[in-house]
Amino acid sequence: MTLLNIDNLHVKLEDEDREILRGLSLSVKPGEVHAIMGPNGSGKSTLSYVLSGREGYEVTEGAVTYKGEDLLEMAPEERAAKGVFLAFQYPIEIPGVATMQFLKVALNSQRKARGEKELSTPDFMRLVKEKAAKLNVSQDMLKRPVNVGFSGGEKKRAEILQMAVLEPSLCILDETDSGLDIDALRVVADGVNALRSPDRAMIVITHYQRLLDYIVPDYVHVLSKGRIVKSGDKGLALELEAKGYADFTKDAA
Amino acid sequence: MSTAIAKTAAEEALGFQLPHRRMEEWRWTDLRQLIDKPYPPRQQVKAAAGEAERLLAGSIFHAIAATRMVFVNGHYDGALSKLANGSVAPRAEADEPVQQMNVAFATDGARIRLEGNIDTPVELVFISTKADPRTIATRNVIEVADDASATLIETHLGEGSYLTNNVTEIRVGHNARLDRVKAELDSHEAIHLAHAHVTLGRNVTFRDFTLSTGARVNRQNGTLRLTGEFADAKVTGAYLLAAKQHADTRLVVDHQVPNCASRELFKCVMDDHARGIFQGKVIVQPHAQKTDGKQSSHALLLSETAEFDAKPELEIYADDVACGHGATAGDLNHDHVFYLKSRGIPEAEAKALLIAAFVGEAFDAIQHDGLREALTDYAARWLTEHRRKG
Repeated sequence: MTLLNIDNLHVKLEDEDREILRGLSLSVKPGEVHAIMGPNGSGKSTLSYVLSGREGYEVTEGAVTYKGEDLLEMAPEERAAKGVFLAFQYPIEIPGVATMQFLKVALNSQRKARGEKELSTPDFMRLVKEKAAKLNVSQDMLKRPVNVGFSGGEKKRAEILQMAVLEPSLCILDETDSGLDIDALRVVADGVNALRSPDRAMIVITHYQRLLDYIVPDYVHVLSKGRIVKSGDKGLALELEAKGYADFTKDAA
Repeated sequence: MSTAIAKTAAEEALGFQLPHRRMEEWRWTDLRQLIDKPYPPRQQVKAAAGEAERLLAGSIFHAIAATRMVFVNGHYDGALSKLANGSVAPRAEADEPVQQMNVAFATDGARIRLEGNIDTPVELVFISTKADPRTIATRNVIEVADDASATLIETHLGEGSYLTNNVTEIRVGHNARLDRVKAELDSHEAIHLAHAHVTLGRNVTFRDFTLSTGARVNRQNGTLRLTGEFADAKVTGAYLLAAKQHADTRLVVDHQVPNCASRELFKCVMDDHARGIFQGKVIVQPHAQKTDGKQSSHALLLSETAEFDAKPELEIYADDVACGHGATAGDLNHDHVFYLKSRGIPEAEAKALLIAAFVGEAFDAIQHDGLREALTDYAARWLTEHRRKG
């Protein structure tokens, strides 16, 4: 069964006429890891925002089906409760909201929306402590406001911690490697790999092949000017690394 | 200037001319217009059995262990109070119309002296029960002895339509510490007029927080006089206003001696047609060198029709000082709301969380954990509760 089906998706910014996604199609099954690679401006981040429900984008054509339902009709919080998770390229800093409190409200909101019992504070604390330890997220970070004063690496680890706590069905990782040194990248990739499971799919959006040495994808797609111009296995990423994007993108114009 | 303006019905009932917008200090809070019906003074209202107890039990600070002094409809209620009232004589002078009204109508008030290290907060609760519209005036005189340390809570609760006029004088002795927390949780039909005159001695630590959220019209005047060196004062406030609520704080911080620090921080949230105003003035007298005085006010406007006006003023007569002010106004950050929603938090809850975080900065200076938590909880509930009431 297909988890996510994107069919001929056309998207533009609400206040601009230029199309950013121009007929993108992609099908993702549970357990699969898809890498989407592309140069700057190819529409990678737009895809992640449209899937997570950010305002400011207008879908002019096409459809997105998630678990058999129309994803585009759902509010962002509904998508989250149904298992869609976007790890932001630039995680947002939220002053005054402690990370621990934020995680608890998020998890319990999702559980409530799914008709599950909310976790008690002690159960929740145990869960977070266990997951945080694996990602080198300190107790101090959990007490601090969400992402405020976090280094680039800390922000990315905090995103993966959220993912580990919320246990989504579809993880979209938007340039999770950006701004990370090799040690931080390894911690983040280990965290992501630990979440790979037959029930969970991942879309890994990246500019560089480097991340895919650590998070090995089942499929690689090249995105250029708003559509997928080539798909293949992990070998395609190596080919891209060797040849550059130019060879793949010249026909897309 | 001509005084031949026709008296309004409210002025007729009070026997006083109300401040109006042509008076600079009242330009945004025209009481002649805002007090649009009579609130006759000197009405003897007896609370129905159990009314005061019920309102007291509904207070956001009800669960906090405090030594309470309760005033019901302007009179000390011995049965509900744990602390006996004293007899310090209030100053009977006033050079300004609202305080003149207070001098004329005040029926009672707390007259207490706080000595030593008092661990349990002292709470003054002013309850107005449901009755015909009327003016209730109270006057408090608080002395904090040298070397004392205390937390003083002032809670205003009520139901129905009334005008409350409260004047509080506070003197804080040398080397003392006072944490003052005021919660204005009056009825949505009420008019709340207040003056707080605070004088600090040498080496005093003073923390002051005021929540303005209940009354239809709220005007608070504060004067803070720093009269002894090395005093450290922080005055903070939060507004949570909706519908057509109007809150105006005018604060004057007067640095009379060298080497003192003062901080003012107001975090104001306005929804619907609400209007918030903050007028803060810092005066540094000629010999008050090494003064460190800063004030800031920040507004969060949740609707297109909400409004915030800020008037920061610095009056500096000394040359070796560090003073500054800042004011901002804006709506909720859309990226913040989206981030929370993308994690499954419904929009209303996401906004409530962000509002609580915004005003929370003003709670930070409150030392008492229970008070801070009660205020945080109130702020987190406020948005959903006022929207439900419509």
